[in-house]
Amino acid sequence: MADRKQLELARALLAGRIDRRDFLKQASVLGISAAAADLFLRAAPGARAQDSGPVPPVVAEPCGDDCPFAGQTVTVLVNTGGGEKGSIEGPFHEVRAEFEAATGATLNIAAVPFEEHFPKLIEDMASGTGQYDTSVAGAWWLGDLVAADFLLAYDEYYNDTSGKFPEWDYDAVLTGPRSLLEYGGSKYMVPNDHDGQVLYYRSDLFADSEHQAAFAEAYNYDLAVPTTWDQFADIAEYFNGKDLNGDGEPDSGVVLHLKVGQQGMFHFMSFSAPFVIGPENPKLYWFNPDDMTPLVNSAGHVAALNKLIEITKFGPEAMFGWNLPEGWSYFLAGRAAMTFTWGDLGALAQETAERGGQSTVQGMTGAGPIPGTNGYFNVATNAMVETAEPNMVGNTTGGSWAGVISKFSKAPEATYFLLALMATKPKSVVYGYRGWDGVDPGRTFHFLPPNGDNSIEGYEGGGWAAADAEAYTTAYFENFGAELQFPYLRIPGTFEYWQAFDVRLSEAVTGQSSAEDALNAAVADFEGITDRLGRETQLEQYRTSLGL
Amino acid sequence: MRGEATVEAPVRAAPRSEPSARWRARDRAKWFFLLPGVVWILLFTIFPLLYAIRMSLHAYRFGIEGAFVGLGNFQRLLTDAVLHEDLVTTFQFVISSVAVEMVVGVSLALLFNREMRGRGLLRTLATLPLFATPVAIGYLGITLFYEEGGPVNAFIQTLGGSQVPWLSNPFWAKVAIILLDIWQWTPFVFLVSLAGLQGLSQDLTEASEVDGAAWWQSLVFIILPLMAPLLWLILLLRAIEAFKVFDTVVTLTAGGPGRATEVISRYTYITMRKFSDYGYAAAQGFLLLLIVAILFTLLWSRIKHNYGAPR
Repeated sequence: MADRKQLELARALLAGRIDRRDFLKQASVLGISAAAADLFLRAAPGARAQDSGPVPPVVAEPCGDDCPFAGQTVTVLVNTGGGEKGSIEGPFHEVRAEFEAATGATLNIAAVPFEEHFPKLIEDMASGTGQYDTSVAGAWWLGDLVAADFLLAYDEYYNDTSGKFPEWDYDAVLTGPRSLLEYGGSKYMVPNDHDGQVLYYRSDLFADSEHQAAFAEAYNYDLAVPTTWDQFADIAEYFNGKDLNGDGEPDSGVVLHLKVGQQGMFHFMSFSAPFVIGPENPKLYWFNPDDMTPLVNSAGHVAALNKLIEITKFGPEAMFGWNLPEGWSYFLAGRAAMTFTWGDLGALAQETAERGGQSTVQGMTGAGPIPGTNGYFNVATNAMVETAEPNMVGNTTGGSWAGVISKFSKAPEATYFLLALMATKPKSVVYGYRGWDGVDPGRTFHFLPPNGDNSIEGYEGGGWAAADAEAYTTAYFENFGAELQFPYLRIPGTFEYWQAFDVRLSEAVTGQSSAEDALNAAVADFEGITDRLGRETQLEQYRTSLGL
Repeated sequence: MRGEATVEAPVRAAPRSEPSARWRARDRAKWFFLLPGVVWILLFTIFPLLYAIRMSLHAYRFGIEGAFVGLGNFQRLLTDAVLHEDLVTTFQFVISSVAVEMVVGVSLALLFNREMRGRGLLRTLATLPLFATPVAIGYLGITLFYEEGGPVNAFIQTLGGSQVPWLSNPFWAKVAIILLDIWQWTPFVFLVSLAGLQGLSQDLTEASEVDGAAWWQSLVFIILPLMAPLLWLILLLRAIEAFKVFDTVVTLTAGGPGRATEVISRYTYITMRKFSDYGYAAAQGFLLLLIVAILFTLLWSRIKHNYGAPR
C-alpha cells in the first residue's frame, strides 16, 4: 500500500501536479528516504526546466511521524536578493521544503534591503522580541551583537554527536574566513558565504600577442597578471578606451562598484591593505591600541587612496553611482579588462545566457590575489618600509554572510538545524559552484588538489570552464591562506565607523575632497563615534580583538 | 443692594435650575463628540511630542535609553559639521526645486486656462506624476538617469550632447534629484493654480482687454495680484513638503556621491535607524520642526496680509 502511494507521489511530481515543497512534505509522511527523494526531485520537470546551474542534493532525511521540531517556526532575516533566485536569500527558499520535511518546523524567510537589515535585527534583539530566530549577518556586526549579548553561541549544538543535527566540519573552513566565525573563543556564525576580494582579469586579452607587444612597448615590461597596484594602474590605463568585447565601442581598463552606502568601502580596505600592513606591522590599520586614536589618515592610507583615485580614472565615471550588480554586469558584458571584487563574480562569469545568466566572458576570466605594493607605511613606527618582493596582503573583506542565532529565539535548536543543514559539504559545494546564490567558497572542499579535495571535473559538472575554475580556486586559496591578512574590524560600532568611512571615501573618489582631507574627516568622524560609545570600552574591545 | 440681591437670587436661580440639566446633557454630548479628537491629539500629537522631548534629553544605544544628557544632543546640533552640510544641501534643494515648480506650474496653468483642443487629455497627462509614490519615482529615476545608455542620456546624445554623469557626479546628482522632484510636484502647482485661475472673474481681464491692455499687462497687474494669496499658499505647502524630501534621495542616490545629496531627513533617518542614536535623531527632528515652523510663520503672515485678515 505504502509502495503504491510512494509511486503515485513520484508520478505526481514528475507530471508536475505537485511542487517540490509538497512532494517533500508528503514524502516525509510516506517515509521516502532522502536519497530517493533527491533522485525524484532531480528527475522532476521543474528541475530540468530551471537549469540555473547545479542543484544541491537533499541531505536531511524526512522525519515522518517523529519530527524533532514539529510545530516550531524558524524565521530567518536575510538581505533581499531577488526571491527564489536571489543572492544569499535564494538558498533558503531552496532548502525550505527539505528543512520542513526533516524537522516538522516551518521556515519563514523575511527579506529586507541591505540598509534595513542591521537596524531591524538590532531593534528586534534590543527589545527582546525574538521575531527573528536567525539573521544571515555580516561578520562586521559581531562586535555589536556579541558585546550586547544578543547572540547564542552554538558550540554546544556543534559538539552534539547524537545525530540530532546535520553534521558539518568546522575545521574545513580555511583559517582566514574561520577567524570570522568565532568571537571571544565561542562559535557564533555558522559558515555559509566566505567573502574576500581577489583580482579578476580578462585572460584572453592578457594572452593576446598584439596586446602583449603593444603593452611592452608602451611600458617597458611584459604584460602579465599584476602583482602590484602600480602594474595594475599601467594595465588599466593601457586597456582603457580600447574595444574589449568587439562591439565597436570603447571599453574600460577597470570597473568597480562605488555607490555610497553599498559596501564600496570594502574596495578601499582590500586595496589599501598592502600600503599599511606588512611583515613589521601585521595588525595595525584602524586604531592605535594605546588610546584608540584612528590611524586611517596615515601616509600609507593617503597614498593608497590617491592610487585608488588614479585607477578609477581608467573606469567608467558611472561606477561612482553603481551598486554591485551594475559593476559586475559591466565586467560580464566584456566591457572591462580588470576588476577586484568578491567570489560571486568568478561564478557569475560561468553563467551564460543559456543558463539564464548574462556572462559573455566564460573561459576568459582569470583570477589572482589582490595586488600588493613595493613598500608600506608602518603606522607603528611612522616609517616607510621598502620590500624586496611585492608586499601582498590577503583579505576577508566583505560580509561573509552567515547565520547567527538570536538569543531571543524561541526555536534555537531548529534554527541551528537549518543553518547546519546548509553548511553541510554536499550543499556548500554546490553553492560554491553557482554565482546567483551569492555563496562564495572558503572551505577545503571548494578547492582543487593539493589545496582541497574538489576536482576540475566537479567544477566542470557545476558549469565552469576548467581554466577559470583553476585560476579562481587558486586565487582564493592564496588569498585566504596568505601569511598577512587584512585586520577585519569587529568591535562595537564597526557599522558606524565603516558607514562614516564609506562616505568620506566616496567624497574623495568623486573629487569633493582630497584624499588627505577625506581621511582626516574620517578620523574626526571616528573620534566622535568612539567618544560617544565610550573610549575606554572601545579601547578594551579593540585590544581584545587584536589579541593584546 | 445686598437686600435686592438676596431677594432676586432665588428668582435668578429658578430659571437656571431647569436649563442646567439641559446644559449638563449638552455638555456631555459636547464632550462625547470632542472626545475622539481630544484622544487623537493626546495619543498622536501630544504623547509623541513629549516622548520625543524625553528622547532628545537622553543617550541611546540600540534603541535602549541610557544616561540623561540634558541638552547635550542639542549642543551636538551646533557642532555637527555633517549636519550643517546636509542643511545647506536641503536648502539648495528646496529653493531650486520649489522655485522651478512654481514658475513652470503657474505657466502651465496659464497655458491650459483657455479653450484648446484636447485640453482635458493634456491636463490629465500633466497631472499623472502627482499620483506616483516618491519611492517608485526614485527607482524610475535610476533607470531614466542611468549613465551608460539610459533614456535621458540617449536623448541628449541623439541631440549631439555628451553623456551626463547624472548619478556619479556630485553636481549632477543634485540636479537629478531636483529634476525628479520638479517632475513629480509641478503638476500640484499646476493643478491648484489652474483651479485658482478658473475661479477668477473674467470681467476684469475682459475689461482690461477692452481698455487696450496687453496680455502681459493683464497678467502682471490683474491676474497675479488676484492669485497672490493662493500662490503664497502653494509656495508654503510645497516648501514645507520639500524640506521633508526623503524617498527619492534614498532610492536614487542614497545621499551620494559622498554626501552630495544628503538631506536632513535622511541624516535623521540614518542617525536613528542605522546608528540607533534615538536621542540625537530626536534633537534633529526638533531642528527640522523649528525650521519648518519659522518658514510657516513667515509665509503664513504673508498669506494673511494678502487676504487682508486681521493679524
